Amino acid sequence: MAAVDIARPLERRASSNLTAVSACVGLALACVAPFALNGYALYLLTLAEIFALVALGLNLLTGYAGQISLCHAAFFGVGAYATALLTTKAGLPYLISLPLGALLTTMIGAIVAVPALRLKSLYLAIATLGFGVVLQKIIFEWRSLTGGGGGLALGVPTIAGQELGATGLYYLTLAFVVLGLWGARNVSRGRTGRALMLIKESEIAAASLGIDIARHKVMAFAISAFYAAIAGGLFAYLVRYINPESFNVGLSIAFLSMVVIGGLGTIGGSIVGAVFYVIVPELLRGIKDAPGLVFGLLLVIVMVFMPRGLWGVMRQLVWKR
Amino acid sequence: MIGNLVVGGLAAGCLYAMVGIAIVIVLNITDIANFAQGEMAMITTFFAYWLLDDIGLAWWQAISIAAVFGLAQGIIVQQVVIRPLIGSPVLSAIIATLGLNIVLNSLAGLIWGHQTYTFPSPFTFAAPFHLGGVAIPVASVVNIAVGLAIIAGMTLFLRATWMGLGLRAASQNQTVARLMGVSITKSSAIAWGLGGLVGGIAGMLVAPAVFLDTNLMGALLIKAFAGGVLGGLNSLIGVFLGCLAFGVAENLAGAYLSPSFADAITFLVIIGVLIVRPEGIFGRVKVRKA
Repeated sequence: MAAVDIARPLERRASSNLTAVSACVGLALACVAPFALNGYALYLLTLAEIFALVALGLNLLTGYAGQISLCHAAFFGVGAYATALLTTKAGLPYLISLPLGALLTTMIGAIVAVPALRLKSLYLAIATLGFGVVLQKIIFEWRSLTGGGGGLALGVPTIAGQELGATGLYYLTLAFVVLGLWGARNVSRGRTGRALMLIKESEIAAASLGIDIARHKVMAFAISAFYAAIAGGLFAYLVRYINPESFNVGLSIAFLSMVVIGGLGTIGGSIVGAVFYVIVPELLRGIKDAPGLVFGLLLVIVMVFMPRGLWGVMRQLVWKR
Repeated sequence: MIGNLVVGGLAAGCLYAMVGIAIVIVLNITDIANFAQGEMAMITTFFAYWLLDDIGLAWWQAISIAAVFGLAQGIIVQQVVIRPLIGSPVLSAIIATLGLNIVLNSLAGLIWGHQTYTFPSPFTFAAPFHLGGVAIPVASVVNIAVGLAIIAGMTLFLRATWMGLGLRAASQNQTVARLMGVSITKSSAIAWGLGGLVGGIAGMLVAPAVFLDTNLMGALLIKAFAGGVLGGLNSLIGVFLGCLAFGVAENLAGAYLSPSFADAITFLVIIGVLIVRPEGIFGRVKVRKA
C-alpha cells in the first residue's frame, strides 16, 4: 500500500500534465476545425461533441459512482423533445429552452434514481432499461404534444434574432463541452466525486464515514441526466428532425460503450470514447459490406487488449516514459 | 380468451426462459452479462437452416447437429474472447460481448444477406390440442415441453453430476472451488458451451414462429434479461418462472390494458417488484462483507 501512496503524486503530476496538454491541443484543434472541414465532417464532429457531453455525464454515474444506467437515451430524448417543444410551441428563445428542458429532465433523472437506490448491477440495468422504455413510450403516445411516431421537424435555431448555422451550432456545442468538462472535473475532484468513488468501492465503508448514500446516488443520476438533456437539446437542432424511435435501448447501450471504451472513471476517456464511437464507423464506411464487422471486431479488440479503456492506455504510455 | 392468452404467454415465456437460462448459466460463473447470446443463437439457427435447406438433412438431424454447433460456438467464444478478459473490469467484458454481438450480426448479414427466410417447422400444419376448451397450437406445446425439459435437465445436471457440482461451486466461491480442484477456466468454458446450446435451441424454436433474419433474437434477449431479473438471477428456477411470468404479463397487459403500452406496463411491474425485492422474487440476497 505504502509504495502505491508514494508513487501517487508522481503519477498524478504526469497524468495532469497529459490532461492539460491534450486539453489545450484538443481545444485549439476543435476551434479551427470548422475552417478545415466540409459540411458532413462538421456535422459528425458536432455529433461527436454531443455524444461526448452525454458520456461525460454518464461517466460520473457509471465510472465514478458505479451505477449502470440503460435509460440515458431516454434522458437524451426527453431533453431533445423538451427543448424542441419549448422553442417551437411555447415560443421561448433557444438559449432559454435548452437549460429549461435540461432542468425538467434533471428532475425526471432524480425521480428515476429513487427506486434505483436499492438496486445493483444487472438489476439496476434492467430497472433503468424499463424506465427508458416507459419514457420513450410516453413520448411516442403523447401525440398531441410530441407528434408521436411521425416525429418532429424543426427549423433553424435562432439566438438573439441571428440564425444559427452549422458552424454556429458547432461552436455552441463546443462551448457546452468545455463547460461540461469543467463541471465534470470539479464534481469528480471535489467532495462529491470522492464520495461517489467510495460508494462505488464499498457502500458500507461510505456509509460509516458519514456519506449520505441515497443523496449522492440521486445527485449522480440528476447530474448525468442534466448532461444528457443538454446534449439532447443540441442534438434536436443538429439533426432538425427527432423521432421517439431513435431514443431506444440501443442508443443507451451505445452511450455505455462510449464510456467503457474511453475509460471508466476518467474525464478524458468520455471524450475519446465518444469520438471513437462516432468517427470510427465513418472511417470504416469505405470497407465494402463490412463496416459493422470491423467496428465490432475493433470493439472486442479494444476491450481485450485495453480493458481499462483507450484513455487508460494513453495515460499509461505517458507515465511509463 | 384468457386461457388462450395465458397459454400463449407461457409458450412465449418458455422461449424467453431458454435464453434467460443461457444468460444466467454464463452470468453466475463468469459474472458477465452476455449481450452476444442472442446473436450466437441467431447464428446457430441460420446454421440449422443451412443444414435443412441447402444440405437437405431431415429436421431432427439438422437440429441435433446445430445444437452441437451451438455448444462448440459457446466454447470457442469463451476461449477466444472471454478468457483473455478474466480479471479485468466486468463492464469491459460486457462491452466486448456487445462488440461480438455486432460482429456476429454483420457476419450473418454477409453470409445470408438481410432478407427474411421461412424456417420450416415439422409442426406447422398439425391440428391444435384441446385442453378444457382452450385450443393450444402444437408449436406452443413444443415450446413449453422443451422449456420444461431444459429446466429439468439443467437442474439435474447441476445437482447430480460432478461437472455440474463443480459449476455450482465455481459460481459460489471461485477461490474455494479452485482449492477443491475445480478448474475455473474449464467451468467457464462449460458454462459458455451450455449457454450456446440452450440459446441455440431457443433460436430454432423461435424461427418458425417469426421469419428468420439477422435480427431474430434482438427483442428476445432484452425480454429474457428482464424476466430473469424479475425471477432473480441467482436461481435457475427463479429465472424460468420469472420469464414465464413476463410472457404471461406481457400478453395480458397487451390484451386487457393497452396494446401499445404492453411493454411499458410490463417494465413498470418489474420495477415495482424490484423495489420490494431488489434481488428478484426468488433471488437469495447475497451477504457480502465490505
